[in-house]
Amino acid sequence: MSTQRESKLRASTAKLRGFLRGRRHDGEFDDEIQEHLQSLAERFVAQGMTREEAAAAARRQFGNVTLLREDRRDLQTLLFFDTLWHDLRYALRTLWKNQGFAAVSIATLGLGIGAATAIFSVIDNVLLAPFPYRDSGRLVFARIHNTQQSEKDGRQGYTPTEFLEIAETNHVFDGITAAAEDLVLYKHGEGTEQLYGAHVTPGTFEFFGMPALHGRVLQPTDYEPGAPPVFVMRYKTWIERFNGDLSILNSTFELNGIRRTLVGIMPPRFGWYDADVWFPKKPTRSGEGFAESPEIWFLLGRLKPETTSQQAQADLTVIANRLARIHPQDFPEHFTIQVRKLGDTVVGRFQATLYTVLGAVGLLLLIACSNVANLMLARATTREKEFALRAVLGAGRMRLLRLLMVEGLVLAMGGAMLGIFLAWGGLKLLVAAMPQNLIPTESVIELNGPVLTFTLCIAVLTALMFGLAPALQSSRRDLNDPLRGSGKGTSGGTEGGWLRDAVVMAEVALSLTLLIGAGLLMRSFVALRGVHLGLRADHVFQALLPLPADRYKTTEQVSKFIRPLLARIQTLPGVVEAAVSSDFPPFGLPESKIDVAGRTHQEEWQTLFQQVSGQYFRVLRIEFKKGREFSDAEISDARKVAVVNDTFARKYLPNEDPVGRRVRLAMLDTQAGARRESWFEIIGVVADVRNRGLEVPIEPQVWLPYTIGATGAQALMVRTLQDPATIMNAVRRDVWAVDSGVALAFPSTLEERISERLYAGPRFGFVLMAIFGCIGTILVTVGVYSVMAYSTTQKTHEIGIRMALGAEGADVLGMVVKKGLRVVAGGMALGLAFSLTLGKLIETQFVGVATYDPLTLAATTLLLTMTAAIACWIPARKAARVDPLVALRYE
Amino acid sequence: MDTKRSDVLQGTLDLMILKTLHALGSLHGFGIARRIEQVSRDVLQLNEGTVYTSLLRLQQQGWIAAEWGTSENNRKAKFYSITKRGQKQLDLETKNWERISGVIGRVLRLEGEKES
Repeated sequence: MSTQRESKLRASTAKLRGFLRGRRHDGEFDDEIQEHLQSLAERFVAQGMTREEAAAAARRQFGNVTLLREDRRDLQTLLFFDTLWHDLRYALRTLWKNQGFAAVSIATLGLGIGAATAIFSVIDNVLLAPFPYRDSGRLVFARIHNTQQSEKDGRQGYTPTEFLEIAETNHVFDGITAAAEDLVLYKHGEGTEQLYGAHVTPGTFEFFGMPALHGRVLQPTDYEPGAPPVFVMRYKTWIERFNGDLSILNSTFELNGIRRTLVGIMPPRFGWYDADVWFPKKPTRSGEGFAESPEIWFLLGRLKPETTSQQAQADLTVIANRLARIHPQDFPEHFTIQVRKLGDTVVGRFQATLYTVLGAVGLLLLIACSNVANLMLARATTREKEFALRAVLGAGRMRLLRLLMVEGLVLAMGGAMLGIFLAWGGLKLLVAAMPQNLIPTESVIELNGPVLTFTLCIAVLTALMFGLAPALQSSRRDLNDPLRGSGKGTSGGTEGGWLRDAVVMAEVALSLTLLIGAGLLMRSFVALRGVHLGLRADHVFQALLPLPADRYKTTEQVSKFIRPLLARIQTLPGVVEAAVSSDFPPFGLPESKIDVAGRTHQEEWQTLFQQVSGQYFRVLRIEFKKGREFSDAEISDARKVAVVNDTFARKYLPNEDPVGRRVRLAMLDTQAGARRESWFEIIGVVADVRNRGLEVPIEPQVWLPYTIGATGAQALMVRTLQDPATIMNAVRRDVWAVDSGVALAFPSTLEERISERLYAGPRFGFVLMAIFGCIGTILVTVGVYSVMAYSTTQKTHEIGIRMALGAEGADVLGMVVKKGLRVVAGGMALGLAFSLTLGKLIETQFVGVATYDPLTLAATTLLLTMTAAIACWIPARKAARVDPLVALRYE
Repeated sequence: MDTKRSDVLQGTLDLMILKTLHALGSLHGFGIARRIEQVSRDVLQLNEGTVYTSLLRLQQQGWIAAEWGTSENNRKAKFYSITKRGQKQLDLETKNWERISGVIGRVLRLEGEKES
């Protein structure tokens, strides 16, 4: 037994050796044979034959030289690969001869594979491996969750003492790091800019396992008391703010009043805590509680291998309970520790969307496969004779199967190549349309190794799926049947016919669902764009002015900065109006209880309020219904005057003239530095402006002069004549001219800001659905076409008879198209029902459009019907042109 | 098929070649074919080409070795000779063959006795 295995092994190694060596030894062998033949012939001549007779006799005695050579090859080399190469060449040749078929198949597969690849790379880069950090799958953060609150609420920040306690006494982490945020004002020669900074604990960069791109990361010595202040910069910041200038390395920067040396620049994908700059800081123990804590640390731990989140939760709960005994006020009465994976916070909701989309894409790929399977089946029937002949000549069934599989593989590889190309382009589109705040900053969406491997696997899998079915069917046939000639009746291939029809029906249903979804999202997006904001966002430049808290404590200090600044900006060329406000429209306004003089009410009255400068209404082109805007004197004297919106007037002062009435905001009474007398006189009513986003009804709102109590950051808004982005530098110079210690933060245009906040999400959904809807439609067209082509080819004989008996071309055309459209209609009904049910589930995503929106339904149905009709018409026309004589002779 | 001549089984040919090389030492393909022809006294039908397939197979198993030399009539020829491993294999196969042919012979004799 063992010797047998041994000898087999020896034979195999010999084969492998021969395969690797190629054909080098064939010549030698031929010489040997020639020698032998000659010797034999000479012997025969010696026996008295003529030369010719001798040669022939020698050959007879020697046997079939070709067969011998093949035997030898079989012994000497891996015949499988040899013939595989042969099959491959043959497949390429036949596909080249059927360019139409090959092109349609490759395009179909390319669309399917491309869509799958694109979505998979988004999923891979956003969900599976968004972080470039060492063992990023084991990085977790802990949250103190109040069990009486909703799922996502909880404290994620810790005092230095809490951090040290967790770091030193836990049993579940093999590494731990923490960051504390710090808004950084970077002062340079011309003025001040704002950066987002993070203090990080010792060992942070080792924790993430990422070295610096240029320079070095923070080292233990940087954390020593009295060490020279240093910092590390993010790649993006370096590129965007400093144009990637390497000479800034090792130079000093004044950051929050401290001169720090830049010692390193991190690689592009390092984005811990989303900070621009990282400072070294060692947390130190103190007796202070959470409220008095000098800084709040967000901590990140790396779970030991084999440690579960549950174990970590249990371990950290023990520590938290101990901490809660020292500072009970810092912990909720009932709490648990939740351990969450890094990234969970960012992509939570996006995850479901992406997996849904992957599902849809998977279905698209399945459609593509079944289409190509149908195409191949249609082609296989016309090749039946070829296969039968091959089988008769001795090709084994496996060999035939393999030939078809190789053809399928060639198509799949072509499709994969096209798919990668499409995915590459599609990704650019996706990334551009993707709402940026939904993905982790570290993730870079691109085609990478795992993604390409995925594509390759998909390609092989598709080849198996669409190649095997027709291959099995055509290789199973009785050899005699196709060769016998006119073995074809009218009902050739009805078996499996219902399956093909079902596939087409499913395709139509799915693609109609996608199309309707895309249509509804588009309508909803258009409706969203059509929602009147109540203000004109075009030609408005906006930025945030974060005022340094130490120098801007009082309202007087704030207005001493704002007043000259607005006056300067007003004189810039192209500037129409400039104003400041406590918030950006159309969200984020604070809310207050309100009383209106002379009106009593049972329930609590609420209003949103906003503090603005006089020109605010003019900058945003907010229309006055009654009364007037704030005068300069009212602003500078901080008079108790107010402007209300239409909703306010209608709700709280119906059928009365609001102008002259007085209102009191409870919120202002309780604020620090309270104004004892906070009754405000209404001097104007403006048209409604969106103040809770686009989808929620407008709430009552009050505007007050900013001078009555402005602190902190101010939103600057400037209306211009030209493109508002162009005045950014001029505005920044003006800001610095008034106070070089103030930064112009987040400069952009109001349109851009609104678009990013309000429209990016819906636009992404709509773009995605539209793309898939289009792909679906194309695939359905191919699908209907391939099935119709197949069934008409099958029926050529029948059509011939019909035509011989007097049927006109038009009758045949009608017959074929009718049959096709019947299947399509079934799919449409299914798709309509499906999308109406599905629509109910995602109703909330639609604004200003019903899920049964007749226009969308009609348009998409019409579109699909037309494409399907065209798909039917092409094979139908071919069938109608059939010459009855040819068709009857057709075997 | 010619009734007087029998086809040669593949394994049998291998064994015959091994034995031939064992008996005559180094030999080329033509010589082996002649020897088998001579020994079998024309009873065995042999496509002489198959000798080469057999030689290759034996070579791959490491039972024979080949080297180029000059034949009796001064031609370049490949000479095959049996290796140590081939020697062992020959012993093994010979024993096997004797055992099996003994059994088959007995069975056939038994059948013959019954008939007669």
